[in-house]
Amino acid sequence: MAGYFSNIQETVTSIFEGMSITFSHFVRRPYTVQYPDRIPIPIQDTLPFRYRGILEVDLEICTGCLACERACPIDCIVIEAKKDKQTKAMMLNRFDIDIAKCMYCGLCSEPCPTGSIHHTSQFEGADYSLESMLRRFVKTPVAAYKPSKGPETDPEIVPFLDRGLRYLDDFAKPGGSSEPGEADAS
Amino acid sequence: MSLGGFDVQVLRENGFATEEMTLNMGPQHPSTHGVLRFVVRADGEVMTEAVPDVGYLHRSIEKIAEKVGYHGFMPYTDRVDYVAAMPCNQGWAMVCEKLAGIEVPRRAEYCRVIACEFNRISSHLIAVGTMGMDIGAFTPFTHALREREHINDLLEELCGARLTFNYMRIGGVAWDLPPDFAEKGLAYIDRFEPLIDEYNALISFNKIYKERLINVAVITGEEAINYNLVGPNLRGSGVDFDVRRDIPYSIYPELQFDVPVGHGEEGTLGDCFDRYMVRIREIQESCKIIRQCLQQIPEGSVLAKIPRKFKPPVGDAYVRIESARGDMGWYCVSDGSEYPYRVKVRTGSFTATSIIEQVSRGLMIADLITVVASFDLVAPEIDR
Amino acid sequence: MKDLVLSLIAEGGALAGVPFSLAAPLVMVAFGALVVFGFVLPIAGITSWLERRVWARIQSRIGPNRVGPQGFLQWLADGLKNLLKEDIIPSAADKWLFSLAPYLVVVGFIATFAAVPFTSSLIIADLNIGILYITAVTGIVVVGVLMAGWSSNNKWSLLGGIRSAAQIVSYEIPAGLSVFPIVLLTGTLSMQGIIRAQGWAPWDWFFFYNPFTFAAFFVFFVAALAEGNRTPFDIPEAESELVAGFCTEYSGMRYLLFFLEEWGNLYVIGAIVTTLFLGGWQVPAFTDNPMLLAVAQFGTFFLKAYFFVFVAMWVRATLPRVRVDQLMTVCWKYMVPIAIVNMLGTAAWMLFVPETLGRLVQFGMTGLGAVVVVVFFRRVRFHLRRANLKPSDYYYSPII
Repeated sequence: MAGYFSNIQETVTSIFEGMSITFSHFVRRPYTVQYPDRIPIPIQDTLPFRYRGILEVDLEICTGCLACERACPIDCIVIEAKKDKQTKAMMLNRFDIDIAKCMYCGLCSEPCPTGSIHHTSQFEGADYSLESMLRRFVKTPVAAYKPSKGPETDPEIVPFLDRGLRYLDDFAKPGGSSEPGEADAS
Repeated sequence: MSLGGFDVQVLRENGFATEEMTLNMGPQHPSTHGVLRFVVRADGEVMTEAVPDVGYLHRSIEKIAEKVGYHGFMPYTDRVDYVAAMPCNQGWAMVCEKLAGIEVPRRAEYCRVIACEFNRISSHLIAVGTMGMDIGAFTPFTHALREREHINDLLEELCGARLTFNYMRIGGVAWDLPPDFAEKGLAYIDRFEPLIDEYNALISFNKIYKERLINVAVITGEEAINYNLVGPNLRGSGVDFDVRRDIPYSIYPELQFDVPVGHGEEGTLGDCFDRYMVRIREIQESCKIIRQCLQQIPEGSVLAKIPRKFKPPVGDAYVRIESARGDMGWYCVSDGSEYPYRVKVRTGSFTATSIIEQVSRGLMIADLITVVASFDLVAPEIDR
Repeated sequence: MKDLVLSLIAEGGALAGVPFSLAAPLVMVAFGALVVFGFVLPIAGITSWLERRVWARIQSRIGPNRVGPQGFLQWLADGLKNLLKEDIIPSAADKWLFSLAPYLVVVGFIATFAAVPFTSSLIIADLNIGILYITAVTGIVVVGVLMAGWSSNNKWSLLGGIRSAAQIVSYEIPAGLSVFPIVLLTGTLSMQGIIRAQGWAPWDWFFFYNPFTFAAFFVFFVAALAEGNRTPFDIPEAESELVAGFCTEYSGMRYLLFFLEEWGNLYVIGAIVTTLFLGGWQVPAFTDNPMLLAVAQFGTFFLKAYFFVFVAMWVRATLPRVRVDQLMTVCWKYMVPIAIVNMLGTAAWMLFVPETLGRLVQFGMTGLGAVVVVVFFRRVRFHLRRANLKPSDYYYSPII
């Protein structure tokens, strides 16, 4: 009989407590982030620097070293790079990334010596055909970037390289060496 | 089996024979936590049997390991258990390091533990939140998920992803802690701890909620060991075993934390409520661990020098780590090539599935949901 | 209603010259249609929108805020969407029963509005058995639900239907028994009669009349929630156990009708509770203008009734769901005995307690109620302080 009344009492008090907690939420700010058209800044700008969105390649600073192609576990990157017989320069004939296959693991951007292949903060990649998911970065064959001995001087390339090296800088360096973007030609 | 004074067996003997029906719960069902199927034989509301049918989420992850190499397999380990991906990362990294005999920098070990414990909190938040939702209270679930969002934000800053982290590398971690991570992490833990009390007052100690959990699916310590339950499910039955403490790895021996064990605080030892409360307590312990780690973290590098072409010597290795769902085993055989010869993952959810058939006898259909939630089953971890 | 009809057929009225026997049904049907289409359906829809908003705030979310200002027209959009959807009838289902079931459910709920008062003169039919009539017609709902569960030919639906039948039939008993103390006190079953026996002041409400009616209120409210399939007693549709319970196989408009009943029924619960325990439309006689008085009465009644709709939403957002056997335990071992004690207690009270003492108890109970409210808000403040919120974490406006 004592159990009977203590059951009632416990039910009433625990429900009272629970309802006071839920009521207290009426004066707390909701945590939801609204859809992009209702927020003042683009949602992409709120993402952290390391955010792994859709991959992008800066062909201006791509050395054609194929490190990313080798690192990719699902082979979604296909690169065709050939040495031009006449000019002795590395020519990029093809640089395709299949976004439909990509799992955004970030393993490709890690070994890149210049930070050419990198994740952007873009994540909206929905489309109507699989074909359009294949990003072809090389439209016409271009010469690969050749790292110069000293600091880079070409004003067209400097901003790309700066951004790429800043991106690389965030990755952990084996053994803690802090030199960013040391091109280990592999 | 008597339920609310309703004795199934007696009624049948006296001639009120009722026909059993076979219910197919899943693979698409709101509360089977992924694609998990139960074949339930029920007499009205009372189950005589609930046989789990696993394999709907099998992605042959272990076989993939043989094709993608040691480095390339790391993102796949995220998919072994996507609710708690960090411990899976750590397990794979540790088994490779053990194969090749690599020393991991101390700062990297701290980073790993911080990430793992944050992930353990977020995984347990899902576990306790879905427990509430499966029992019909939607609000605790959203409150738990709100806190999980904060943790996801922190982990996103750490490694750029919210779910499939791919944070760890063989020999360390891929990214060092961001500059203000320690302050943000500590501030978050300070904010989060009182909310556990609020959560408890809202749902854990609610009378209706307790009535649904107490004395349901009691598993004795011996049974739990026989059925190879691990982690919070094992500790919920009163067995004091935690891989982090008893088979120490990483920096856990240097940290102060308790291992919460169920003690039948409301009803029988080893019921759903004990398993549930062990998870709540573990959240609190994880907060302690994170606080210590963020305060003690040493300077230094976070990645050992590892060749790009990682070829461990011929041999095999097995490591055990305490994932959010308990003792997780990673076994790898190397034939000296670039690719593992064989990988095997031993997960807690799979063994927990095997005991469901036994404990669900005589429970009601509504209790099956409670039992599944109390084991914190995650379907991808069952099938891999 | 009769006064209204008489004034209409009198010299110079809108229906002058029409015999009473024809005018009375005409006015009643017209008013009934007005109530159903102008009040019941919108109130069910708006309740669905409000419930989602209230839930959302409790759960740190925002809720529907796109269609119309603050998402207010969401219910219209949902209704239109469901009307346009394909109405699937499973091939293995019993087509007749399957199609009929939602209509029975809705009829059972709309019929209750015949005896729900709005003001002292506005009521479709002031039946002398009003409260009994409401209890009776809500029984039709269970037939519809059971029909839906059976005819779907789905095991989840069947389980949901049977659970619902067991639940509604059981909870009619404590609900009915909790009406008894009020009927004893007033000596009438008429809704208007019960309201007239109370006053506008809280201490004149039956809620605070004596400890037994106080308890009867809670028993009645909980039993009414159970009859309306609301959390913590929403086991017939228990989405985490039975997928969607008895409406698993329904789609389109038929599916919507079940929810129309659920949300509309909330207002009925609120209206009955207000009538029985909270003084209904009683307002102080502040004016002689009958129109102004009617508006004040309607507003008072509506706000009181809608407060309980809000409480039902709030309860739903707080509590988990009981199990089937616990549901029966709560009903038969707790609520029925308490309801019987309430009935006997009130009868004894009427016999033995002198009027002056009764009056004192009324004031005391009202004071007790005020104390509970104060304690409640102190707890709310305690939880807010414990949560360690930054000033920016507070947000008082309902508009987001």
